[in-house]
Amino acid sequence: MATEEGDLLHVVTDDDIGPGRRRIGHLLVWGSFGLLIAVFAVLTLAQTGRIGLEFGNWRPALYAALFWGICLGVAQVVLYGEQGKRTLFILPATLFVIAMVVFPLVFALGIAFSNWNLSSLEGRSFNGFDNVVQMWNDPFYWNALKNMVWYTLAIIVEYVIALGLALILASEIKARKFFRVAFLLPLMLSPVAVSWMIGKSMLEGRFGPIARLARWLGWDRPAFFSDPEIARTMIMIMDAWTFIPFMMIMLLAGLQAIPRDVQEAARVDGASGWRGFWEVTFPLMLPVSITAILIRIIFKLKLADIIINVTSGGPGGATDSVTSFIFREYRDRSNVGYGTLLAIVYLVLIVISITIFMKLVDRWMNPRY
Amino acid sequence: MRREVYNYLQRTGRLKRRDVLKGMAGMGTLAAFSGVSTGASVRPAWAASHGALRAEILKIPGVGMGSPTDADWQKVGEMCLGPIKEVVSEGEFAGVELTFMGLNNQNLHNFLFRGFLKPWEAYTGAKINWIDLAQADYNARLQQSIATGTVDFDIIEMGAPFEGDVLGRGMASEMPDWVAEIIDMDDYVDYLKAPVGTWDGKTYRVSIDGDCHTFAYRKDYFGEGSLTGRDVPTTWQEINEVSKMLAGQSDPLTGLDAHGYLDPLKGWGGFGFYFLENRAAPYVKHPDDPAWLFDPDTMKPRVNNPGWVQAIQDVMDLIATENAYPPDQINADPGTTAFQQFLAGTGSMLTWWGDVGSSARTSDTSVVGDVVGFGINPASDRRYNAASGEWEDTMNEAPNMAYLGWGVYVMATVEGDEKKKKAAWSAAAHLGGKDLSLWASAYPSGFQPYRNSHFQYDEWEEAGYDREYIEDYLGSNLDSYNHPNAALEPRIPGIFQYYSVAEDELAKGFAGQYGSAQETADAIAAAWETITDQIGRDQQIELYKASLGL
Repeated sequence: MATEEGDLLHVVTDDDIGPGRRRIGHLLVWGSFGLLIAVFAVLTLAQTGRIGLEFGNWRPALYAALFWGICLGVAQVVLYGEQGKRTLFILPATLFVIAMVVFPLVFALGIAFSNWNLSSLEGRSFNGFDNVVQMWNDPFYWNALKNMVWYTLAIIVEYVIALGLALILASEIKARKFFRVAFLLPLMLSPVAVSWMIGKSMLEGRFGPIARLARWLGWDRPAFFSDPEIARTMIMIMDAWTFIPFMMIMLLAGLQAIPRDVQEAARVDGASGWRGFWEVTFPLMLPVSITAILIRIIFKLKLADIIINVTSGGPGGATDSVTSFIFREYRDRSNVGYGTLLAIVYLVLIVISITIFMKLVDRWMNPRY
Repeated sequence: MRREVYNYLQRTGRLKRRDVLKGMAGMGTLAAFSGVSTGASVRPAWAASHGALRAEILKIPGVGMGSPTDADWQKVGEMCLGPIKEVVSEGEFAGVELTFMGLNNQNLHNFLFRGFLKPWEAYTGAKINWIDLAQADYNARLQQSIATGTVDFDIIEMGAPFEGDVLGRGMASEMPDWVAEIIDMDDYVDYLKAPVGTWDGKTYRVSIDGDCHTFAYRKDYFGEGSLTGRDVPTTWQEINEVSKMLAGQSDPLTGLDAHGYLDPLKGWGGFGFYFLENRAAPYVKHPDDPAWLFDPDTMKPRVNNPGWVQAIQDVMDLIATENAYPPDQINADPGTTAFQQFLAGTGSMLTWWGDVGSSARTSDTSVVGDVVGFGINPASDRRYNAASGEWEDTMNEAPNMAYLGWGVYVMATVEGDEKKKKAAWSAAAHLGGKDLSLWASAYPSGFQPYRNSHFQYDEWEEAGYDREYIEDYLGSNLDSYNHPNAALEPRIPGIFQYYSVAEDELAKGFAGQYGSAQETADAIAAAWETITDQIGRDQQIELYKASLGL
């Protein structure tokens, strides 16, 4: 590492590592790695019945992997001395992430390109791109994706409402603290509770209070989930009711972080209330707004519980979300391979669309002339 | 017995006070005699005559004396241990550990089993570890255990529809003859006899429950002086006719819109398909043919044959009739039709499991308790013969044995260890014992009667039950259970996958996204073909035939 005179406090010098110590270090790394490979090989052979050994589970492989991880850490110090100790700060976390995120993801990819129905006696078998072809021809999946576009677009309306509420709560209104807590309450409810309390009870066609109100207002036979558009809108409203407070609280925090003197300066310059909001507050709120919308999009793309409980995706798939469809495919039909592929494709779509969204926002907010 | 039935009987005084007191006196005598209440068994109760034993266990804790507790379950377990003691010596299974996987619904099922098996553990020396599952987690847990080869249980409480998944893979242990003798399978109601519980001619299941759909109707809609003035409909044709006729009329109970039959038009995790089956079975379940969902030789779906299409068309006809269904029926699943609609006074006809029959009179939210009547599932005035491809103008009844009921199975994990195997089977035999099951059907247990001997109404009356109510409550089930043309579901692997995908396609059909009932049925058939190909057609054909006993 390069060192600079005068900053000796933060200098880490290269230790003088002898060849013997290097050998020990390499032996630790490769020896434990070799052991890991050997254990995996033995377990695989035992599993496939090629050797006469019997293991109840794959736990020996886990122990070997842990042993390799420890040896790898120790070897850093043995091989690189003080520099190695620095590596030790992030190595366990890196290994943990690989074990918990990367490895399962790779494993999931393997499953996604497999024909694996839990009821099949043959078990899992690689089937190339068959699942992709099936997805391509699956009207239920495309329908769910189309619905997701509608659901996501609803965030614009949610944002407007959330910003309005945040502005109200940021202003000097009476019982402000009470309203802050009251507006936050829906967020504290589980979407499953919302499904039952509102979707299944209050919106119940004959005895639900909202249905009664609708009848009183002149709607003879109120039905909230029979018409595709109305049903989709009701799902949007229930989801929005739960999550608008989340956006609202983020925006409120953003509003409170804006220095008051900026607004005051605008007022001194003669800006009206609207111009003060549109040309001062709103632009200053953009970074927070974008973050709130982004997180809300991520939440929205996972929308499933309300749909599963209230409509099961109906009528005729009008309210189906990708997640609720995958839930049926995976849980009700034990179609693990296809369900995993759908989830992976959805993940890729989300990553791509969120990246594009962030790039566009970045260009918009920081134009390069 | 369902817990709510029992509570209702207690609340409404349909338990005879004299008999309750008689029961208490009898119990006191018995306790003094056998010592079971102290836990120190001086003389096993089973030594008493068999009939006396049945009468005595029905007095624990005594009908009308509140819900039974763990102590009561243990007492019953102890008193019914006689047959086991004849084949197992004391301490014979010392050191044996078994794992039992079952449900924890309503704090019944596994909780009862624990109590019943405690005396068994004390006597045999074996120890049981418990895996308690919520109903919603059950299917996924079982399927994953099977698929990943991690069967970590020796005994399982399982519904017969999963037999294809488990028995078809040879994962269960065949029932030894001595167990068959103890549990007296000849006493089972007809539909629970082979082929249910068997696979390739071998027996695997100890039944502990019965299940079927029955017909519930409102007496204020049918009969003399009723809203329609007509007799209770007995065929689906009549049901559709009267459902159309009722559109626009007012309900005599609630004053709101009157409605006829309540079809659940929304899926229910596969279970919703049973309700289309109710309509279809009388059209397509021919007495000469055990198969009605698939062709057993090819696994070609029959779901798009004219009989099934007629059943779908019947539903579509009612959808097309304005006000035939309540508003939002397209979003009504079976839970809604039963508990939010029928029991709350909406609609006049329904098919469901026994829960509706019991809840109608026991649930606080039910308003139809005094006007509800029960019967066997409706028939059809014509039936489709899949073999000839022709309709036959013959009246056809085919009650739907939906889900077939719970059973206890021993897994093949015990094979190779004779001591463990005998221990597991003796535990299963104890739970499915003839006398113990009588107690379970009479007290809150989560299980329905399933033996012909459970329908001896004298025993119920003697125990303190109101005879009229009990006959009414149990009668419709008994008629369905022993029906010669009962529609049994295929116990093939992945049967709920077929049901689930059918629900999705039906939802589209009912929402008008397919051009006709035939198109809807064709879409279901195509989806079923895909599932069959994925699971393996040859395998499914073989297992389907085995499940039908062909």
